[in-house]
Amino acid sequence: MSLAGYEFEVQRDDGLATEEMTLNMGPQHPSTHGVLRFVVKADGEIMRTALPDIGYLHRSIEKISEKVGYHGFMPYTDRVDYVSAMQCNQGWAMVCERAAGIEVPRRGEFCRVIACELGRIASHLLSVGTMVMDIGGMTPFTHAIREREKVNNLLEDLCGARLTFNYMRIGGVAWDLPPGYTEQVTAFLDQFEPLIDEYNDLISYNKIYVERLANVAAVSKEEAINYNLVGPNLRGCGFQYDVRRDEPYSIYPELDFEVPVGTGEVGTLGDCFDRYMVRIKELKESCKIVRQCLEMIPDGPVLARVAKKLKPPVGDAHVRVEASRGDMGWYVVSDGSEFPYRTKIRTGSFSAMSIVDKLSRGLMIADLIALIASLDVVAPEVDR
Amino acid sequence: MASSIGQYLKHAKDAAATIFEGMSVTMSHFVRKPYTIQYPDRTAVRVQDTLPLRYRGILEVDLEICTGCLACERACPIDCIVIDAPKDKVTRAMLLSRFDIDIAKCMYCGLCSEVCPTGSIHHTTEFEGADYSLESMIRRFVKDPVLAYKAKKGEETDPLIAPILDRGMEFLAEWAEPVDMKKYKKDQEEAAS
Ligand code: SF4
Ligand code: SF4
Repeated sequence: MSLAGYEFEVQRDDGLATEEMTLNMGPQHPSTHGVLRFVVKADGEIMRTALPDIGYLHRSIEKISEKVGYHGFMPYTDRVDYVSAMQCNQGWAMVCERAAGIEVPRRGEFCRVIACELGRIASHLLSVGTMVMDIGGMTPFTHAIREREKVNNLLEDLCGARLTFNYMRIGGVAWDLPPGYTEQVTAFLDQFEPLIDEYNDLISYNKIYVERLANVAAVSKEEAINYNLVGPNLRGCGFQYDVRRDEPYSIYPELDFEVPVGTGEVGTLGDCFDRYMVRIKELKESCKIVRQCLEMIPDGPVLARVAKKLKPPVGDAHVRVEASRGDMGWYVVSDGSEFPYRTKIRTGSFSAMSIVDKLSRGLMIADLIALIASLDVVAPEVDR
Repeated sequence: MASSIGQYLKHAKDAAATIFEGMSVTMSHFVRKPYTIQYPDRTAVRVQDTLPLRYRGILEVDLEICTGCLACERACPIDCIVIDAPKDKVTRAMLLSRFDIDIAKCMYCGLCSEVCPTGSIHHTTEFEGADYSLESMIRRFVKDPVLAYKAKKGEETDPLIAPILDRGMEFLAEWAEPVDMKKYKKDQEEAAS
């Protein structure tokens, strides 16, 4: 990778000669959340720039869709963002439904939203857990993972897999809620919600943790929009935007939930702590949504009959879903055959990588880890 | 100077206080039930037996009830199922001479078992598939060519096949039944009026 244009001169008042150092962080660095590489130019502990080098996890997922057809691509969408695969499932299902004009049964929509919000809980738990671990606290990570396991158990009961769900189908979902699922999920939520506060006691307001994150890599609203940050990263800057609320899809308009934003409670607005805190608050909101869905869910079918060889009419379709890492765009072009002509997936982690260079200037190397963790980038989602 | 020392001491005090708060949460876990299990050998029941029927583990085929319709082969996005089902020249009956699943390639997506009309191909709760060679990853279900199953009108009467078919139907029952939305809506409207 060329670093042209990023050279800098080191000048010190006392005339002591210093040298800039190029440091490779990754691709096999434990703190970079998958296979990510950063080329860091540093002067001592202070970074001049950290350039992300992406592509290590590129699997041509978009191209694969052109070979496997509309139904066959569903399991691959699990791999777009394997930490929260449900919303990717939903994105693909929705874009195909829009392209082919398919209607989803109402109960199917509820099943989708329940699954998605459980997936969001699992994803945010992993995010806040690994964030603390990257900063150096091992214990809270195990607490977060313990709860994540319970969510995974619930999803396993629902669709038979813990990570690559392949739960949704074009036209609905593949499995109805199993018997007794409402009680199971309610029992989980009842014991989980108090644990969020306990988690806050355990780590969120720990003085050392707060000091480590407050005022680090603050992003202003304008910057966030210019760099196209989405999801919790955007909301962390105090900008209230959520696709679920502002461009509603599925049954979200009928549900009552808040869109938490960063408040700058311990430092600058939009710093690492705010992004972290937005995720913690979203855990509660997701619990709220799941509860409402379980109450409102109607009886009926969950899956509409769709042709085995789906051939949407010539044209294109675009949908946006609020994935755990923010606004995820799905675009498909159909040429009338049984294979998509082109698929494009736009993910939140990818645009979050673009701001790393800007934010890293002048940061300590150790803070780069905090920055990446707070942006919650997941390598497969960056590369696809 | 004095204020910065005061600041420093205050930070130290805050840090100690919040660490203590966190430790109290940690301590409270001494009296809670442990959540971890000692996989694989010290669990009360085998983990496989605790998994739901929907669990998508390693695939298995009940050849007795396979109709040779090839729906599963066509549904698989990565072609890891290979079936040969030639017609017998004399009796004109369909023979199954090969049914291989490459479980090294399989991604356990379930698209194949979803379309099977009899529940012949289904997921088990088995997930420990490690082996030393790739060859052994190809599960070959046909030893000698067998006749494909022919669905009968009404109940299955063969006492050997009936329980297998029942089990297949159990697997099938887990899947959601697709409905024709137009018809469903019309029915709903009629019921309402
Ligand atoms: S589970 Fe999926 S990948 Fe495996 S054989 Fe069936 S369709 Fe193919
Ligand atoms: S296993 Fe099922 S889907 Fe596959 S050929 Fe046999 S009957 Fe058809």
